[in-house]
Amino acid sequence: MGLMKREEWQELAGDVEWTFRYVDDEAVFPEWQCGTGKVPREVWAGWDEAYKMTYAEYVATQSEKEASAYSVKAAVQRSTIADTLDEGWKSNAKLHYGATALAEYAAALAELRMARFGLSPRWRNMAVLGCLDEIRHTQMSLYFAHEFVAKDAQFDWAQRAYHTNDWAIVAARGLFDALMFSPNVVDLALGLPLTFETGFTNLQFVALSADALAAGDVNFANLISSIQTDEARHAQQGGPTLELLIKHDPIRAQWVVDKSFWLSSRLFAILSGPSMDYYTPLAHRRYSYKEFMQEWIMTQYMRMLKEYGLKKPWYWDEFIEGLDVWHHALHLGVWFWRPTVWWKPQAGVSRAERVWLQSKYPTWEELYGPIWDVITDNLRRGKAEDTLPVTLPWLCNLCQLPISTMSKSANGKWSVKDFSLDHNDYTYHFCSRVCRQIWWEDRDSMHLKTVLERFLSGEVQPADLGGALAWMGITPDVAGEDAYAYRWAKSGGAAAAAEGRSTR
Amino acid sequence: MSLVGSPVSSPVSSEPQAIPINALFGSDFVTLLVVVLSTDTMADVSRKVAANVVGKRIAPRRADMAVYYRDELVPKDWTVARAGITPLQFVLVDYVDD
Repeated sequence: MGLMKREEWQELAGDVEWTFRYVDDEAVFPEWQCGTGKVPREVWAGWDEAYKMTYAEYVATQSEKEASAYSVKAAVQRSTIADTLDEGWKSNAKLHYGATALAEYAAALAELRMARFGLSPRWRNMAVLGCLDEIRHTQMSLYFAHEFVAKDAQFDWAQRAYHTNDWAIVAARGLFDALMFSPNVVDLALGLPLTFETGFTNLQFVALSADALAAGDVNFANLISSIQTDEARHAQQGGPTLELLIKHDPIRAQWVVDKSFWLSSRLFAILSGPSMDYYTPLAHRRYSYKEFMQEWIMTQYMRMLKEYGLKKPWYWDEFIEGLDVWHHALHLGVWFWRPTVWWKPQAGVSRAERVWLQSKYPTWEELYGPIWDVITDNLRRGKAEDTLPVTLPWLCNLCQLPISTMSKSANGKWSVKDFSLDHNDYTYHFCSRVCRQIWWEDRDSMHLKTVLERFLSGEVQPADLGGALAWMGITPDVAGEDAYAYRWAKSGGAAAAAEGRSTR
Repeated sequence: MSLVGSPVSSPVSSEPQAIPINALFGSDFVTLLVVVLSTDTMADVSRKVAANVVGKRIAPRRADMAVYYRDELVPKDWTVARAGITPLQFVLVDYVDD
């Protein structure tokens, strides 16, 4: 029997829907999961994806991708490439695996939620393929990382990270919970496929893939570029959903997109920012994190806003200012609190690197140079103990990251600002006006105790740094340390910016 | 070393109470958990906050330090209790010659 051509049946099949006779529609599609809100129920029949794919086509395409990705891996595994990789670069891979491998699995569950509760059969079909994508990403990420576990226990955090309370993972979990699990599926489609996967995964998977190739990590580049081809397809679920929501409830659409973009940009400041501007060896950096953000995120995002008739977010000025400061402070924090992470952060502040940083970020030396000078000087004098933490940083009640955003006051002085909020006889602290505003509006679904609050409430015992490390799941064999055992300090310090040579 | 000390109890107690504060020192890049006592003077608070920062991320200077709470300078001889600094509040410490 000959098969019908796709165009002869897919339109009809895409409209297949059930009329329930033994249960109410509300019982099958409860509002708290489906989130149709002001969008009339029948309007969802008009949901239509731009790029169509059948299951047979999906299997054929994915099979080719798998064969390609795993054959490259097999070839690289037989080589000595992995043994020659820069230690700072390896931190990129460890950070990436820990922060994303099981987040991919969470995304599979999020796709399943859309496959079950999406109010259009076309949407539900696409979400099924999206779920299969995310399962593939989880399996690939775990498998690729597993190769290195025998040599380096930090790679085991590809599996372990999300099962711990490490502060960086709590921050990531906070974002992914907010995007994938606490919202209904309409808001989920706007937060995950539309905002996170259309924009930000480009940054982590495509831009970082270019850095990986330049750094010689063929395997990692192979992995993340293969994953991104799936993201580009299933991210389509956002567009048609946004179109319908904007038409019937533009205020809600604007809020969900704005919120998702802000939360994503905060996490990527610690995920991609240090990777691109500090961990990638200087010789292999093609663009700065800010340049990547401008090209891959801002341009694309502004185009998307215009295309759908959305306004520029109310916080746009803060976001632009943040591109010059957020990730530098977060990198400093990760390096100073290095025993609390599962990778080996490289400081990235040798003389040549500081010249590069200053050329990309005109305020870098003014804001962060003096701090690194003191750190470098302590290392040169053999006082490494003064470059290690004895207390905890205060954490933002929304993004869960250290409160470390510098801004310029009216008197021209730069300093970190704390944004507090008293509510129900309790004082909450935030890294920014925007985090405070989002928390206030959506506090019922985004109220997550920070690691510091758990520490103060007595959940962490003993209540000292050692107790905090144990509580976070950090064992001595994985606790982070400087990637180069401080060798860079010989060429860093106060005169660093004035000289342009690297001696690392 | 314990970071928290004894738990905060009744504010009217005459015994020193541990007060965890959210502290920033001058041009440091991050705010920190620092535990002070209700009986600490602002000079004590300055020292406790500076101990986490000065010589570690901020270069030491021959200058007095001051405490600012709710954007107001707090007299150096005032105690934490007198200044009304309660747990979880933000406090800024800085050199005063700027």
